[in-house]
Amino acid sequence: MSTDEAAGGTGGTDGRRADALAAVSAAFHAGAARLPDPLGRVLQPHTERDRERRRVIALCAPFCLLATVAGVYPLSEMLRISVSEAKYVSEGFSLSAYERLLADPHLRASAVNTLWFSLATTIVSLGVATATAHALEKYDLPFRGALLTLLSFPISLPGIVAAFMIIVLLGNTGLVTNLVAWFTGRSSVDLAVATSVGGLFVAYCYSMIPRAFLLLRGSYAEVNERTEEAARSLGASPARTFYHVTLPQIKPGVIGAFILTFRTALAIFGTVLILQTLRVWTYEIDYALSSGSGFDIQLAAAMATVWFAFVLGFTALGLRYTSAEVGL
Amino acid sequence: MADITLDSVTKRFGETTAVDDVSLTVGDGEILGVVGPSGCGKTTTLRTIAGFETPTEGRVLFDDEDVTRVPPEWRNVGLVFQSYALFENMTVRENVQFGPKMRGVSKPERRRRASELLDLLDIAELADRDPTTLSGGQQQRVGLARALAIEPTILLLDEPMTGLDAQLKTRLRRELVDLLDDLDVTALYVTHDQAEAMVVCDRMAVMNGGRVEQVGAPEDVYERPANEFVADFVGTSNRLPATARNGRLHFGHATTPAPDGDEGDVTVVARPEAFRVGEGPFDATVRERAYLGEHVRAVADLPDGESVTLRVDPATAPAPGERVSLALDTERVHVLSDS
Repeated sequence: MSTDEAAGGTGGTDGRRADALAAVSAAFHAGAARLPDPLGRVLQPHTERDRERRRVIALCAPFCLLATVAGVYPLSEMLRISVSEAKYVSEGFSLSAYERLLADPHLRASAVNTLWFSLATTIVSLGVATATAHALEKYDLPFRGALLTLLSFPISLPGIVAAFMIIVLLGNTGLVTNLVAWFTGRSSVDLAVATSVGGLFVAYCYSMIPRAFLLLRGSYAEVNERTEEAARSLGASPARTFYHVTLPQIKPGVIGAFILTFRTALAIFGTVLILQTLRVWTYEIDYALSSGSGFDIQLAAAMATVWFAFVLGFTALGLRYTSAEVGL
Repeated sequence: MADITLDSVTKRFGETTAVDDVSLTVGDGEILGVVGPSGCGKTTTLRTIAGFETPTEGRVLFDDEDVTRVPPEWRNVGLVFQSYALFENMTVRENVQFGPKMRGVSKPERRRRASELLDLLDIAELADRDPTTLSGGQQQRVGLARALAIEPTILLLDEPMTGLDAQLKTRLRRELVDLLDDLDVTALYVTHDQAEAMVVCDRMAVMNGGRVEQVGAPEDVYERPANEFVADFVGTSNRLPATARNGRLHFGHATTPAPDGDEGDVTVVARPEAFRVGEGPFDATVRERAYLGEHVRAVADLPDGESVTLRVDPATAPAPGERVSLALDTERVHVLSDS
């Protein structure tokens, strides 16, 4: 084949491809024109506003898809299972799982445990995180970078590892236990608190403080230091300055950190699984799904639904009292 | 009221010296303006007096009492900020009442005091407003009322007019002068605007590189600058090299009578208004002409390549390219020895 023939052949292929593309484009435009106006303008934008809307939809589409597949569907299925009459198939309607939730004193105690323990650890974590963020943001501390790394890394540790670290520190053979035993002359077995409520408390806080801390650091960056100086010059002590001037400015961050850490506390599972000190809701869900309880999937689904509804309601309520930019 | 003394104050931040061996006294009821370019140490000086910075060396005294290590809340110093720094979680009235509240003043008394100050500053109708809804000028008045509510012995103002529009600045400046006169308070007024300092202050200190270059009454600083930096920074100045000999200043291309002083190589500092277009010893060619409303600022080249800035009446201002003869009022020049 000559060069000219080859070129002509290529030209022919290109021409056919161009025709096909033009046909597809025409079909697309014709289809878009038949759609209702707002949808049609998304596919075939006329103005910059239309193009902006199309970009927003394109950017949000992956999340919406994920939320539907991994969020809405499983949640609705979970709700359906929780009111199913049959064990292995979703059919019929029964509120018996919810009735058992209300009637079972063991589960009620677990709910109370979850709430008070989560609340207590949240408050303590928030207090520690606020003090730490204050110190790090307000004062020139040596080794600031190292301190930040040290304070932030537990955020990436799974609860199981946090629990293990507590055992290593506060267990019978733990470093802190043995140090205290050495100083006090008491038995390390008597002093070990890793598997007590205290140990669990420390493990929870260990996981939650970095979360609150990182959120609060962002809030501290927004504090107008001149207002703090104004307060000091007007006669306020550092503590009163913090209360009257700094705290109102970091309030959105504090509320955001409270919501985040409280939700974390409600969801902690690995730590409880290892330390096994307190029966909490996540642990009960796991137990309901275990063979030991006969795979009580309706009960587990009901517990998960209650958990989800509570967290959703709590978050929505929390966000009402804070600004949208808390960004949870 | 109290007088403020800075006794050889030095403040270093690591390797940087922000304030370098500054000694300064602000008399009882006096308003001292601190002017200088950005980074010259004027705000650090103010913050040292307020107690937010502890000097690396030296002492801060209020009425002979050493307050170098006294925390800010115990100094009874009122602070007014450039950025207003109002408490956005409080109303205007609550802002003004904050200081007295921190000092344990009873509720009726602090309410009375706030009302009085809001009236005085002509913002009584804003008492219940959220400060974020106020204009810059209104916010600055609130800031001033808040600082005055503690009945401070010393008032520190850190560039309080920066960011306000020119007209408002002029009005507020006038009001501030009246207010400070009435209150008879010792004040330190930090600004980079020398004109503002000249209007508001009894004396002014010119700072550069952490050091005080000159302290004096505005007219002294303007008319008799201590050195070339002050001459350049405060107002517009013409600096001409000359030789002072036998009671005359020799510029090479012109001579004029010399004021009393040094002989030898000197720098003659002359403000634009010291030159007069008309019969005089200087021949010059006008290069630029800028109409500024009340006057025209012209730049003219001298035969030796130096140029001078002139301030002339718009009605008689020469045009660019025009050759003029300039007279120099030697009573209004300041001669700096080069040795």
